[in-house]
Amino acid sequence: MADFIKNPVVALPDRDPAPHFSEEELIFTAEEKVRIARWVAQYPTPDGAVMWTLWLAQEKFGFLPPEVLRLVAAELGIPYAQVYGVATFYTQYFKEKKGRYVLDVCTCFSCQFTGGYDVLHYLEKKLGVHAGETTPDGCFTIQEVECLGACGSAPMLQVSNGPYVYCLTPAKIDALLDALKAGRMPGFTSVTLPQDEDEMGGNRRTDADASISYSTMPIAEQTR
Amino acid sequence: MPSVTIDGRKYEFEGHPRLLQFCLDHGIEVPHFCYHPSMSVPANCRQCLVDIGAPVRSRATGELERTEDGEPVIRYFPKLQTSCSHTLADGQVVHTSRSSDKVARAQQDNLELMLINHPLDCPICDQAGMCPLQIQAYKYGPEGSRFEFRKTHKPKKVKLGPHVVLDAERCINCTRCTRFTDEISRSHQLTIIDRGVKNYPLTPPGLVFDDPYSMNVIDLCPVGALTSADFRFQARIWEMSSTPSIITASAKGSNCYYWVRDNLILRVTPRPNPEVNDFWLPDEDRLAYRCFNEDRPGGPEIREDGARQGATWEAACARAAELLSAAGLRSVFLASALATVEDNYLLMALARMTGGTVAGYLPHIAPGHGDGWLRTDERAPNGEGCRRLGLGPADVDALNEQIAKGEYDVLYVLEDDPVAAGLSELGAVSVILHYHNTTNRTLSLADVALPAATAAETIGTFVNVDGRAQRVVPAKAIRGAHRTLMMHMGLSRADRHGTPFDRWHNESHLINCKPSWELLPAVAGAMGHRMDYPGPRQIMDEVSSTVPAFGGATHKAMGLAGVKLPEV
Repeated sequence: MADFIKNPVVALPDRDPAPHFSEEELIFTAEEKVRIARWVAQYPTPDGAVMWTLWLAQEKFGFLPPEVLRLVAAELGIPYAQVYGVATFYTQYFKEKKGRYVLDVCTCFSCQFTGGYDVLHYLEKKLGVHAGETTPDGCFTIQEVECLGACGSAPMLQVSNGPYVYCLTPAKIDALLDALKAGRMPGFTSVTLPQDEDEMGGNRRTDADASISYSTMPIAEQTR
Repeated sequence: MPSVTIDGRKYEFEGHPRLLQFCLDHGIEVPHFCYHPSMSVPANCRQCLVDIGAPVRSRATGELERTEDGEPVIRYFPKLQTSCSHTLADGQVVHTSRSSDKVARAQQDNLELMLINHPLDCPICDQAGMCPLQIQAYKYGPEGSRFEFRKTHKPKKVKLGPHVVLDAERCINCTRCTRFTDEISRSHQLTIIDRGVKNYPLTPPGLVFDDPYSMNVIDLCPVGALTSADFRFQARIWEMSSTPSIITASAKGSNCYYWVRDNLILRVTPRPNPEVNDFWLPDEDRLAYRCFNEDRPGGPEIREDGARQGATWEAACARAAELLSAAGLRSVFLASALATVEDNYLLMALARMTGGTVAGYLPHIAPGHGDGWLRTDERAPNGEGCRRLGLGPADVDALNEQIAKGEYDVLYVLEDDPVAAGLSELGAVSVILHYHNTTNRTLSLADVALPAATAAETIGTFVNVDGRAQRVVPAKAIRGAHRTLMMHMGLSRADRHGTPFDRWHNESHLINCKPSWELLPAVAGAMGHRMDYPGPRQIMDEVSSTVPAFGGATHKAMGLAGVKLPEV
């Protein structure tokens, strides 16, 4: 983002990229087709199910190159151009190949104020790549993202469009990276509110793997 | 009848009109970009905002609440509404920018927002001069911009397909182009990609914008983002004149404008006609204009000592008359689906005078070419006109045989190419040829070659496949002052560009040709027959009154929209 502000040039996407997947790989299984059909049935027109289906395809293929978008379009019976438009609109649909884990570091206002850039720079230094890049071993991609809606427990990051990791400190980041390298995704953590501490053990959610309580936020390096 | 008050004036309406269309129909200008009458209404440009109020009804009684003066109480919508998507209801009160400062300010701010990332490269933009964004920014926009940062830059020259080039940073994301491919042509080849300041229309990877109607998005584009690969940087709008006419590359006769500078046609754009082509033109029709500019003849020629040599018009017509007189009944005439009704009618008259045979017209059929919309199997503009004159398609094989047997001495061809149509045995006959282009393959065999004015230079009538008679008017001048042509050119071109009466007039690229409705009477005259018509209007008056299939098709009745002929 910062680069775009300094140098606001929109690049033309590759208009004719080489395919990443072979014809044999580009299929939905019978079970996936059933799921897609169920989504399609929920909406008046099949294009309503495009986001579900793209999500399914991204989980299956890891990212969404044009041939996967064509597959989704063919499965739903909607124009390929429309699928491409939807896929490029949403940043959480990955159009390029990413690392095994994508670390979306929030640097929007609240996180920035509490050290979002400190987290980002720590990660960049530790992994040796810049924001937007993937480590050479293909394990991590670091991305700088806009607000993820967890300002109360800033600074935070999101792992691979999935669980949030809150109240980041260097030690917590080290532990997270080690766990991810070992193949352990962080679980869903519930952040409790002070007024809830007394009842329900502080945890309003029964489905949360863990809970952390609210704490006073740190202050970013540059504002100290 | 329900009524609505717009800017203090009351208008009555029927049905459920949309406010913006209602305003446009009543000559009330409301600035807009994304709205197009033929397509869905996304209301995404936000330029057509107006202030709308509705009369208040008492909840208890359902009666209109009235002020002390007895006027209905009007309650306004809390925010401005997009007039394009608003359906009118009885008693509503509308304020456009003319009567509301709030609306004027909203439209001004909207334009300022739109221009933030617009490159303002009007001095090199093809659209400048007829650009809705430019016009409306002048009329409704702010004096300047408060945006003092770097503009976002997007790809400047993206070839979307064979005929359309995109300049992404000029785009205001009105989605007219994507809606055209989704709703009208249904090729689904364009989409708006990405989001925020980064978005613009593009084809998805691996797809080429090769829609046969792709160039319509160029006319739809309210800015200069989509430009024609063919016309890009060729001319400024104000250097050209536009003449309302029709397409002659297909049998549909789609209505169009010919844009002319220095007597060269530079581009063709659609002219709305709901009875024929709505707002659209196929690409092939737009790109067929080159035949009007290129490979044009230098003047009349006659064969002397085995070689064609330049001659005067009088000498050429005299030679044609001489050949026809000598042949007498042994002459055969070929009518033409490429020539106007008037010219074919005169050819039939000439054939009657000489006693020759009319063999019909040469068919130009490409089976499978048509798409049931604006592209047709028949690739000539006037096949239906010929049929309505009682002419049938010529039997080329039979004619070949008859000519080989020596049944004819003279073949008189009106504006067509019999050799290209397969008439190969022309060694034994003398050929008199009216022709448009030097690429005509019969030209090398012609004994008298008479350059004829094309549809862009003449006046006449073509009948489309659906039996609609439509008029062409001269878009460009030919060499030599012709009173009727000049008069029509002045009448048909409001700007008078290119006529001798204006400062853009230019003597270059004038073709030494004559309309066939002048040549045929000249040949008849040289034979001593009288074929006396002041111009094509009088010929068509005669045709419409004597040929029942052309009932009512006078030039006056046809006007610019054409006239539906009786069923035959």
